[in-house]
Order: sequence, then structure tokens, then C-alpha cells
Amino acid sequence: MDRDLVAETRRQWEEEVLEPRVRRFNLPESPTRFYTPLDTDHGDFLEKVGFPGWFPFTAGNSPFDYWRAHARTAALFGYRPDWGGGGKVGKYGGFGTPADYRDYLLRMQAMGRKGGPNMAFDLATQCGYDSDSPHAEGEVGRVGVAVDSFRDFAVIYEAFTGELDIDKVPSNFTINAPACVIIAMYTALAARRGIDPAKLTGTPQNDILKEFISRGTYIFPPRPSMRLFRDTLTFMRKHMPLMNVNSIGGYHIREAGATREQDLAFSMANGIAYIQAGIDGGLMVDDFAPMFTFNAFGGSMEIYHEIAFQRAARRMWAHIVRDRFGARDKRSMMIRQPITAHIGCSSTTLKRPLNNLTRSVIGGIAAGMSGGLPGAYPPFDEPLGLGHSQEAVQLQIDATRILIYEAKVADVCDPWAGSYFMESLTDKIEEEALAELEKVEKMGGAIAAIENGYMQRAVAKSAYERQKRIEGLEEFVVGVNCFTGENEIEIMVNRVVEATYDPELMETAEERQKASLAALRRERDGRAVLSSLKALEAKAKDEKENLMPVICECVENDCTLGEICDVLRNVFGEAQPVKL
Amino acid sequence: MHAEPRIRVLIAKPGLDGHERGAQVVSYGLRDQGFEVIYTGIRQRPEQIVDAAIQEDVDVVGLSILSGAHVALTAKVLEGLRSRGAGDILVLVGGVIPDDDRQKLLDMGVAAVYTSGAKIEDIAGFIRSSVRALEGGKGSR
Repeated sequence: MDRDLVAETRRQWEEEVLEPRVRRFNLPESPTRFYTPLDTDHGDFLEKVGFPGWFPFTAGNSPFDYWRAHARTAALFGYRPDWGGGGKVGKYGGFGTPADYRDYLLRMQAMGRKGGPNMAFDLATQCGYDSDSPHAEGEVGRVGVAVDSFRDFAVIYEAFTGELDIDKVPSNFTINAPACVIIAMYTALAARRGIDPAKLTGTPQNDILKEFISRGTYIFPPRPSMRLFRDTLTFMRKHMPLMNVNSIGGYHIREAGATREQDLAFSMANGIAYIQAGIDGGLMVDDFAPMFTFNAFGGSMEIYHEIAFQRAARRMWAHIVRDRFGARDKRSMMIRQPITAHIGCSSTTLKRPLNNLTRSVIGGIAAGMSGGLPGAYPPFDEPLGLGHSQEAVQLQIDATRILIYEAKVADVCDPWAGSYFMESLTDKIEEEALAELEKVEKMGGAIAAIENGYMQRAVAKSAYERQKRIEGLEEFVVGVNCFTGENEIEIMVNRVVEATYDPELMETAEERQKASLAALRRERDGRAVLSSLKALEAKAKDEKENLMPVICECVENDCTLGEICDVLRNVFGEAQPVKL
Repeated sequence: MHAEPRIRVLIAKPGLDGHERGAQVVSYGLRDQGFEVIYTGIRQRPEQIVDAAIQEDVDVVGLSILSGAHVALTAKVLEGLRSRGAGDILVLVGGVIPDDDRQKLLDMGVAAVYTSGAKIEDIAGFIRSSVRALEGGKGSR
């Protein structure tokens, strides 16, 4: 191809076609852009894109995902992804007391929903407070299940025995700051059941850095938090080699308001800090990086950009892990995430909520075109309050099925590869994220950029900028800041919410959980509790110690999660919220 | 509004929920609209919010709640303000508030409820007119 000829022809085209058209409509500039070979420097396809499953993974982690291999079977047998089963985790959930949640899980299993536990914890547990703490008031069992002690944890698992025992189904724990305590409980449970911890599978979220940037359930300052991460990592690698180490979330950062480039840069910076923690713990990168997972990067309606974002993210991570850390195992270099692109929950609108179905389909298309399950997410009633209705979930799952089976969105791997536009956009997103990453690294990396509040403030400012663009009508959201006139029809949504969790149980959970905690405090061996907590305190003061064995001892002796966190608070101090 | 003292607003996040995008955006927005804004940061207990409101002598408290605990937490803040003789402080609530609970909050004494899609301009307008009406009624606090 003669690039000079293309350039000359482009100049001619602009003069003869583009510019007259722009003038005709009296526009300051063209509202569209046409891409040519001049927009990419893609001499080298192998270097920039490559084959799916090979470095740099731009085209995908593999030629097709496991679900694609089973697509026909799934259709023939009516597989419901939200039910779990087949050795996978079930639907993310949790509420009330451990007994409430156990009974709920048993009911689900009786209906054939046999996935492993995919646990949501209440906010008190996530923030390291016992249910009888004044901080826990009103929060017990609300957004997840309350877990104060190993006894509680074991009660939940009464629903998982026999063919669903913990050496047969995986467990996911959506918890970060006290992840070490929950991992210790999982270990203790295996010991009690006589199961080799080496057989345990599952994923703790264990991504504390994004909690500082976006989700807010931190306890200790960043550095001791990262020490706990290091301890969980080396402990799990030694004793639970099948467990994933973490689930790194870019999605939360975007939902908190980050731009696409900030999201990518900060997620990569966090990933780098986690790898460094493993290396500081004395391991080689390939010993642990294959067990890192990622929690769905993405989160906007801009379909082209979200596809390019996935491609850029895969390439960026692969280069970072290989070039900086010297990884040789390709599994270390891959972004392992359950889904790829998607719209964010913050892309959904409370106004005319059925439109959110249309929105989620856009996200599903972006996912299907970027190496993922074309999952339409979230259900359209997401912004209406906690808990999706059965109708909304059915529509969401059907939309995904329509994209797979009727639209055949996922029949081509990286369908945009080689597009002048997509390659140029992928390069641009990567470049901008790299520039932002460099800025963070000049500050000393993710931990320093969290300590000085840079990341938190940058995200908050971006959130405000977006709000200003929406209020200033520079950006349009249908049914929110445009097309809201009297000629529009308000679609009423008839949502028959099957109360997923019994409201009566929710109402009384706090009292019942406090009573069972009081019983535990009475019945346990107080001396063993004190001596374990003392041992924890001593070891916490020595940065070189791995705290996991002593935390295991604490949970086995019925120390509560709040007590363990209190000891660590005394030694480590507490993280403070960032002022604007 | 140059000569008048600026309206003081406390934006607060009660409870343990850490999703603070809304609180931050409203804080920045009201600041740009000329209000004096104090943002507490996340994870404040209702008593701390009441203390801060009284210490900072604010005209308005804006509570941001996305955890589903809005009725209980708001009741605590309202009670606290009333028992400390600061019941005239305007209390607004923002967040994920189902329609059924909106009226409940208004009946409890919340001046207005804002959910996703609300405009900062509208919130600012509401605060200005309400605070002015309040001051017209009983003189400045």
C-alpha cells in the first residue's frame, strides 16, 4: 500500500467531499470521523494484535471461551447461568444471620440451584465490626450475611455437604479488608471436615486497593493492608494452590466516576502493587500471577470504546507482567475475568427504567465482540433499589441468549481486529492509560497515590465533570436530560418482586445475630481467646511475620472477626476517608 | 448573594456504605453554586453527623444513602438534630430511595428526596428558596 497516495487522496476527499458537507450544514467541524490506514502504524499485526491465546492477547485469552464450547449443550438442556451447578459458584447473594442464609441456600438447592456459595457479606462484616458494635447498628444482615465468628461461617456451610462439600464446589467471598479472616475460616472449616486445604477452590475478592479508590470498605491504612494481602497470597499459594488469590476490580473504579483511562491506569497500578507484594513475599511472579483474577473491566455505554478498552487492557497487562516482572508463563499475563465489557450500573437510569434493557444489550454486544460472554447486564430494574425482580433477571438472561444464539455475536473472535478505527482507538486508550500510569508511578505507585489521595480525588473530579457535562447538555442521556417532553410515553413497569430474602427475617436479623454472638461470648474459652489475640498482636508488630497461621488459630478459638480486626487496628491504625 | 452570608451545607454519609460518588458530586456542585460545603467523608455515625452539623452551624444537612438503610439512619439524624435544638436545619436525602420510602422520609420531616438523575441546579434552587423562607419566617439562626 502506498501511504503517500492514501494521504494525497485523503486530502482531496476532505476538500471535495468532507468540507463542503460540513459547510452545507453550517457546522464548526465534522461530527464523524473516517479512518484510513494512515491512522494506524500496524505494520506488525503479530506484535500489536497477534493470535487469540498468544501474547499480547489483544485478540483474546483464547480462541473461544469455555461457555462457547458448551453453548449447544446449554441450549439443549436449558442451562440457567444464575443457578450455578456443574462445579461453578451460584448466584451472588447473602442476607440475614448465617442460619437464615443457610436455609435460603438449602431451599435453592431443593429447586435444583446447586452452585457453590458466592457470598455477599453485610457491611459490618466487610468493615471489620461485630454485629454488636455500635457501628453495625442497622446494617446487620442487610446487604449480605453477617459473619462474626467461625461458628457463623460453619453454619452457612451446613448447606454444603456430601456432593456439594467444599472439596467439590468453589466458594467466592466478596470481602476485602478482612479477607484474611474469612480465608482463615475456610481453612479451619477444611480442617474440621478432614479435607485437605489443597483441594479447596474459589475466589476471595481480596482487592483492598480499589476499596480506597472507590468502594470504601477499607479498615487499615494502605501499607498494612498490603501486608495482609501479601500474607494471604503466600499462605494460599502454599496451602491452597487451587484458590484464586484475588479479583481485581476495575469496574468499581469506573462506577465511582473514573474515566476509562483512569480506570485502566489505576487498575494496572493496583495489579502491579499486588504482583510486587507477591515478590516481596519471596515468590516468583509465575508462582502466583496465574491465580490473579479480574472482576469485569468496563462500564460505559460507548460501545466502540469499551471494545477497544478490553483489547488495550489485555495488551497492557501482558506487557507489564512479561516485560517488567519477567513472567514466562502465559497464564500470568492474561486478564482472567468472568465477563469482559459491559455497561456500568451507573449507566442505568431511574427514569423510564425499561430502557435499561436496551442499554444492557449494548454492553452485551461489546462483551461478545471483545472476547467475553455477551452478557446483558445489569437487569433493567437495577436502579430501583436492592434486589432484582424475577422478570428483569429473565429478560437479562434471555437478552444474552438472543445475542449468542440468534445474533451469533460470539461466532467470531476479535471481529474488530485490523479495523483502522479499532486499532487506532485501542492504541490511543493504551497510550493515555500508560501516561496516567506513569504519573502514578512517579508518585511511587498505587499505594503512594492512594496515601496522598491522588487517585480518590481524581476519580471524584471525573465524576463531577461528567455530571456537569450532563447538566450542561454536552452529553445526552435519553429520558433524563433530553426527550423528556409531554409527547413521550412513560412506560410503566409491572415488577412483581418475589422477595428474594424474607423481609421478616431481615427485620429481626440484627437482634437474633446479636443474641447468638452474646451466646458465643459466654460459651467460648475466654483464656484461649485472649492468648490467641495476644499472639496476633505480637506477630502483627513484626512486619516480616505472616499473620495467617495466627489468624487461623484465632478463628479456631472463636475469636470474633471484630476482635481480630480490633487488635490489628490497634497495631496498624485506621485508614481515614479522603477530604475533597 | 454577595452581601448575604453564604448558605452552609453539610454533606454526610451515614452508615458503613462507601459508595460516595453521589455525595462527592453534589458537594462539588453545590460548592460551584456558591454554597459553603463541608463533606464528612464516608462511614459517619448519625451522632457524628449531628455533632458536625451543630459545630459547623450549617443551614442544611444532605444525607447520601445507598445501602437500603435510609429510613433508620435518617430517623436517627432527625431525632438527634431535634433533641439538640437544631430541628430547624433543613435535611435532604439523596441516594437509592424506592418510591414507597420517599413519602415515608418526607413524612418524617425530610425536606426533599433526590434520586438518580436529579440536577444539582435543582437541588441548589430548592435549598436557596427553602433557607430563605425559613429565615423570613423566624430570623437567622
